Amino acid sequence: MPHIMTVAVFACVVALGAGCGSESEPSNAGAGDSVNSGTTIDVTYQDGKVSPSGERVQVALDSQVTFNIDADAPGELHVHSAAGDEIEFDAGKSEHTLTVEQPGIVEVELHGPDLVVVQLEVE
Amino acid sequence: MPSLLTSAQGMSTQDRLLAHGLGGAKDLPISTELAIAGAVAALTISFTVLIVTWRTPRYDAATSGRPAPAWLQALVDSTAFTVLLRAVGLAIFCYLGWVAIFGQDLLINPFFGILYVLLWVGLVPASLVLGPIWRALSPLRTISTGFAKLIGSDPRRGVLTYPDRLGYWPAALGLLAFVWLELVSGQSAELSSTRLWCAAYVAVMLVGGAVFGSDFFARGDPFEVYSSLVAKLSIWGRRDGVLLVRSPLANLDSLRTRPGLVAVVAVLFGSTAFDSFKDSSVWVRFTQQHLGTSYLLNNLALVGFCVGVGLIFAVGCVATGVDRERIPRGRSALPDLFAHSVVPIVVGYIVAHYFSYLVEFGQQTLILMSDPMSNGNDLLGTGDLTINYWLSYHPSFLASAKVAAVILGHVVGVVAAHDRALRLLPRHHQVTGQLSLLAAMVAFTVGGLYLLFSS
Repeated sequence: MPHIMTVAVFACVVALGAGCGSESEPSNAGAGDSVNSGTTIDVTYQDGKVSPSGERVQVALDSQVTFNIDADAPGELHVHSAAGDEIEFDAGKSEHTLTVEQPGIVEVELHGPDLVVVQLEVE
Repeated sequence: MPSLLTSAQGMSTQDRLLAHGLGGAKDLPISTELAIAGAVAALTISFTVLIVTWRTPRYDAATSGRPAPAWLQALVDSTAFTVLLRAVGLAIFCYLGWVAIFGQDLLINPFFGILYVLLWVGLVPASLVLGPIWRALSPLRTISTGFAKLIGSDPRRGVLTYPDRLGYWPAALGLLAFVWLELVSGQSAELSSTRLWCAAYVAVMLVGGAVFGSDFFARGDPFEVYSSLVAKLSIWGRRDGVLLVRSPLANLDSLRTRPGLVAVVAVLFGSTAFDSFKDSSVWVRFTQQHLGTSYLLNNLALVGFCVGVGLIFAVGCVATGVDRERIPRGRSALPDLFAHSVVPIVVGYIVAHYFSYLVEFGQQTLILMSDPMSNGNDLLGTGDLTINYWLSYHPSFLASAKVAAVILGHVVGVVAAHDRALRLLPRHHQVTGQLSLLAAMVAFTVGGLYLLFSS
């Protein structure tokens, strides 16, 4: 039993140590264009098909995310964050902005046909 | 879920909080460093356990543990305590029935949160701490026992004897049916479908209980089997009626092997892995390109994950020599005999997968429970509480906790398998015979970490 405990404790220390290590490093993914200027996502919705379609997009916490929507029919985007925002858009071009205030993976989903547009990786 | 959204029209934003099945934001992926550290730890632990630890089996269900304090045994065996737990179970059942039948078809109906979060996920920590809690609370057991007593028969016996070769198979199928409802059906947040599923479950349990007696609940109720399996990792055991306190490892060794145990474990692990996988960007993009068949693809993937886990485990178990005198059925008996050892790996991964979900949506559910009819009531006084999102705001801590749970599960699993191998395998196969099982376990743990990292 002592052996096992030693191994377990060792492993957890290793794992947690690595976790803390990663914490202290600045997260550089996607940070260059998103910290101050925010992130812009071009969305096209034509013939019941949406683009992007399930892409992962990294955004900084509390930064602005702008959706440039070009659609041939009106529709709704649901933002599956704790705040649960909703974006209604008309046919044609429109621009919508939101801010996600909690870290996590937030799906932005079109409803009508239920299609995931993007997964925002908020950190 | 179109109907749900139309019915939610006109409600405030908060009412639609859960408008995507259950759950808003999901956990961030764990970092590369953490994933690699976890994988290295899993490998190191596995071989350390194999080479460094004991050479004779340690755990023997016939002798392990010491009796719990007399007052505790007296308490849990007392009629008052049993009746109290049964009353609590019945109260939860009545509340669920009330919100299911008379509640509104809205996501703020607490029905969904109670079913998918408090019961389904909450039963894991509850059973880890308290032991086989579902068995003690199960309202269907209570009702079944009540019927039997009314007509003057013995609730333990039904019309027929439960066939041994059925084992845990009904529970495995029930678990698969539940994860299908939750993950694949697309109806998981629709009141009518979920209610129908629950009605079918209640009907099957009551008929099964009437036909086979209480054995049916112990081996056929998916939630009781799940709870009792997890309870083997608690410190609470029983032998010949005596309440025992023993180490989770010794307790795990006392798990009775029955047909279908591998299937139960495979469904639990496979479906949780599928839950991670189905939200990954790769899978979402793939299924959305094949829109007409995405439902079929999800069905196939769920079954594929469960069968895959079962096969990897079974192959890992049988790649050894056995002694026919010790195991008359030969190698084909080994997967069931070793199945207990993947339970900790499964539980570690489930804890990692659901930790923040349970904490945050559990709070959400407690708040919603105060307004069962969705008309603005605050019956329990919890309606004004706000959800504490501390875990979501501390993703590094959350990620470390998740990896720690996975690794802890792996350690316990490997030790359990090692001890069982020493008991079952012939001496000259005791080291080499464990290698393939060890490889399967490392595959599960690293696979789980990979999913936490990539989705």
